[in-house]
Amino acid sequence: MPEVKPEMTASDRYDIAIIGAGPAGMAAAVIASARGASVILLDDKPRSGGQIYRNVDASPLDKPQVLGPDYLRGAELTAAFAACSARYLPATQVWHLGDNGEILCSRNGATLRLTARQILVATGAMERPFPIPGWQLPGVMSAGSAQVMLKSDGLVHDNPVFAGTGPLLYLIVAQYLRLGVPVAAVVDTTPLANYFSAMRYALGAVREPAMLLKGVGLLNEIRKAGVPVYRGAQGLEVIGNQSASGLRFQSGGQQHEIVAEQVFLHQGVIPNLNFTRALGLEQHWNPGQLCWQPALDQWGQSSVAVISVAGDASGIVGADAAERNGRLSALNMLARLEKISLAERDQQASADLQALASLNAFRPFVDQLYRPLDSHRIPDNPDTVVCRCEEKTLGQLRAGFEMGAREPNQLKSLTRCGMGPCQGRMCGHTVSELLAKWRDEPVENVGYYRLRSPMRLLRLAEMSNFTELSARDALVDTLATEVKP
Amino acid sequence: MKRSSKADVVIIGGGIQGCATAWQLAQRGVSVAVLEKDTVSRHASGVNAGGVRLLGRHLAEVPLSIAAMKRWHTLDNDLSGDTGFRARSLINIAADEQDLDTLNKRQQLMHSQGYFHEQLIDVKELRERLPHVADHCVGGVLSLQDGYAIPYQATLSFKRAAQLAGATFYEGQEVKAIRKLGNDWLVSTHNSEFEAPKILNCAGAWADLISVMIGDNVPMSYSAPMLGITARMPHFATPVVGAVSRPLSFKQFENGTVLLGGGAKGFADRANNRTRLDYSLMAAGARNAIEFFPIMKTASINRMWSGLEAYMPDNLPVLGPSARSENAWHAFAFSAHGFQLAPIVGEIMADLITTGGCQFDLEPFRVNRYERKVL
Repeated sequence: MPEVKPEMTASDRYDIAIIGAGPAGMAAAVIASARGASVILLDDKPRSGGQIYRNVDASPLDKPQVLGPDYLRGAELTAAFAACSARYLPATQVWHLGDNGEILCSRNGATLRLTARQILVATGAMERPFPIPGWQLPGVMSAGSAQVMLKSDGLVHDNPVFAGTGPLLYLIVAQYLRLGVPVAAVVDTTPLANYFSAMRYALGAVREPAMLLKGVGLLNEIRKAGVPVYRGAQGLEVIGNQSASGLRFQSGGQQHEIVAEQVFLHQGVIPNLNFTRALGLEQHWNPGQLCWQPALDQWGQSSVAVISVAGDASGIVGADAAERNGRLSALNMLARLEKISLAERDQQASADLQALASLNAFRPFVDQLYRPLDSHRIPDNPDTVVCRCEEKTLGQLRAGFEMGAREPNQLKSLTRCGMGPCQGRMCGHTVSELLAKWRDEPVENVGYYRLRSPMRLLRLAEMSNFTELSARDALVDTLATEVKP
Repeated sequence: MKRSSKADVVIIGGGIQGCATAWQLAQRGVSVAVLEKDTVSRHASGVNAGGVRLLGRHLAEVPLSIAAMKRWHTLDNDLSGDTGFRARSLINIAADEQDLDTLNKRQQLMHSQGYFHEQLIDVKELRERLPHVADHCVGGVLSLQDGYAIPYQATLSFKRAAQLAGATFYEGQEVKAIRKLGNDWLVSTHNSEFEAPKILNCAGAWADLISVMIGDNVPMSYSAPMLGITARMPHFATPVVGAVSRPLSFKQFENGTVLLGGGAKGFADRANNRTRLDYSLMAAGARNAIEFFPIMKTASINRMWSGLEAYMPDNLPVLGPSARSENAWHAFAFSAHGFQLAPIVGEIMADLITTGGCQFDLEPFRVNRYERKVL
C-alpha cells in the first residue's frame, strides 16, 4: 500500500473534490487524477469501498467468498484507487457542502475547511423507509444495517426474519445462509402482480442476461437451504411491546405469525439526498423508482455549476453503472477545467455511455419487479410511527394537515415530524408521498424538506475547533500520516 | 384577466407583524387582505430564535416592549392559540468587572427613566439560577417576565385568530406594483389586483422595495442572522441566557434541545429566498457557548439555519405613517428583535390606521429619520 507521496503536500484548494469512496467516487478519482487534476476524495469510513465494497480488502470473515463475486470484484477497483494519485481522507465526515465549492468536515475531533473548483457528490443510496406498525421497536433493523454489521464486524443474529423485497434482501439472506446462520423465514413482499407488470420491460432486461439471472439464482439458493419463503406478503406488522417478538402478515390468503426477536426489513434503496437537497439542486420525483433524485445531464452535471452527482446518489443505478457514472462525471469535470478537450471527453466516454445505455434498459424491469406496495410506503394506520426520532404518528401528521400544513416544511414546523436527530432524512419520502395522497396531487408538486447542514449530528466541541482555510499546516500534518487503503 | 379583490386595508407581508395587525384590525370590523409572497411565516417570523425579551431594550423601545410583554402573558388566551410562550426569565451574564461596570451604568440610566424591570444579580444568585455557568462569570442582570415562544406556532396563532375575525390571507402573492387609483391604492401581483383605501407595509426583508413603491426611500439593509439547535440534552438551564459583552444567546426548550443564537450573520441571497451560513462564525459562537457553559462541550448540533431579516442603521424599526403618501403605513426593519414587539405593533398599527394616532411616541421610528435636511 503506497503512502502518500511527499510531493503531495496538502493544499487548501483542489480542482476536484469527491465525496464518497464507493464505486462512483473511486472510479472518478482514478480517471481525474490520471489526467492532471488535483483531486481529493473524502469518505466517512476508515476504508474505501462504499457500502457495497465495504471492507473488501480487509474482511473480518475467514471466507469473504460467501459475500459473493460482485463483492470481491470491488477489490480491483479499490486497488486501482489505492494506486492513483488522488489525495484521500478516510474517516472524514463531510457535514457541509456549499454551492460555492466550500467543504466542511469533521476529522480527528476538529473541523476542517477546504475549497474545490468542482465537487462530485457520490454519496450513494440509503434504504427506503418501511413504515409499518411496530417498525420503531428495538429488534427491528434494516437488512442493510444487518449487512453492515456482517461486513465490518462479522456480527450476525441467529434466527431473524427477513421481510421485504429487492435483490439486496435476497443477497443478505444468502450471505447469512452461506455462513451457516439459521434464518427463521423470508417474508417476500414483492407483489405477485409485479411479475406481470414487469414483463413489459423484459425486452430491455434480456440485454443484460447476467443481471436477470442473479436475482433468480439467489432466491433458488434460499429455497434450497430450506428456509420458509412466504410470497406476496402484505399487511406487515411487527409484534411486540418493549421489543420485537415476531412478525404478522398475510400471504396466500392466510394470516401468519413468525416468532423472531430480530426483524430485518428492506424494500429497496433510494438516493441519499442529504447533500443534493441541502445544496438546493433541482430535483424531480422519479415515478418508476418512487424516489426523489437530482436533475442531471448524462455527465451527472446538476443545476448548480460546481456540483456533479454520480452513482446511486443520482438515482438508483447499481454498482456497475455507478462506476461508469463516476468516470463520465470525472471526464466532464476535466473538460470544464480544460484538462482535456470536449472531443477527448466524448471519445473517452463512448464505451461507458454505450454500456450505460444497456444497463439503463435493464433498470425499469428491476424497478417494476421490486416496486414496493403502496401500503408499505404510505401508512394508513393512524398509530403507525412515521417519524421515529420525534415519535410522530400518522394520526398526528394528519392532524397537522387538517390544520393547514400543505407541504413538508409546514408539516414539520407544525408537528415536529422530521425535526429530530435524523432531520427528516428517514421520513422525508414517506411525508412527500403522504401529502401527495392527502392533497390528491402528484408527489412532484408536494416537494421535500429543506435539508440543512450539518449532515449529521456534529459535536459542538468538534465544530468549535475550526481549522481555517489558511491554516495549511494542520492539514499537512494529518495527511502525512495518511495511507491509502 | 387579473382577479380583483377589495378590502379596507391591504397588508403586504404575512409575517408576525402583518398577522398581528390583521388580527387587531379584523377585530375592529375592518376588512383586511394580507398578501404574502411565499407562505405565512415562511421567513424571519417563522425561523427566528423566539426570544420574548424585554431586557436590554433600546430606551426608545422600552415603553412598547413593556406593553408587549404584558400582552404575551395572556396571549394564548386572547388568540385561543398556542404560541408556545414560556416565561422562563432571561439573564445576561457578566463575565468580568468591565461587564459589571456596563451593567451598573445601564441600571442607573434605567432607574433615572423610571424603569425597574431589570434586576442586577450577584455571583451567588447567578449560580443559583444557572448552576452550570462557568466559574469565571461574576454576576449578571435578570428580567423575570422574559422568556421564549415558538415562532412558527406564534405567527400561525395570530394568523388563525385574524382569519377567525374575518381577515383574508393570500399566499403566493408577490407585490409587483403599487399605484393610486383615485383615492384608493391598487396593488398588483402576477395574477391579481387588490384595491383598498389604506395599505400597510410589513414586508420584512423585502420592505424597502415596497417602501419605494409607496414613495419612501429608506436606508434599510437585510441580512441572515444564524441559529443552531442541538440534539436533546439533560435539563441544565431554565432561564434564557445571554451575555453582556459577548455574542452569546441560548435557551433550552422543554424537550431538552438547546437553541444557539448570538446574532452572528451569514450571507443573504434575497433574490433567491436563500441564505448561506458562515460556519467559521458559528464555530466562534460554539466556542462562546462552551466557555460560558462547559456542559455544552457534550452538545451535538443537529441543524443550523438562518432567515432573512431587515435592519435599519440604528437597529430600530420603522413604525408609522409614510412620509410621502397619505393612507400608507410601515412596520418593518425590526433588526432582529421584533418578535416580542408583535402584539403591541399590531395594536399600534391598527390604532394609526383606524384613528390616526396612538398612545406611544413613534418619533424615533419615523421612516424618514435618515433623510438629509435641505439647508
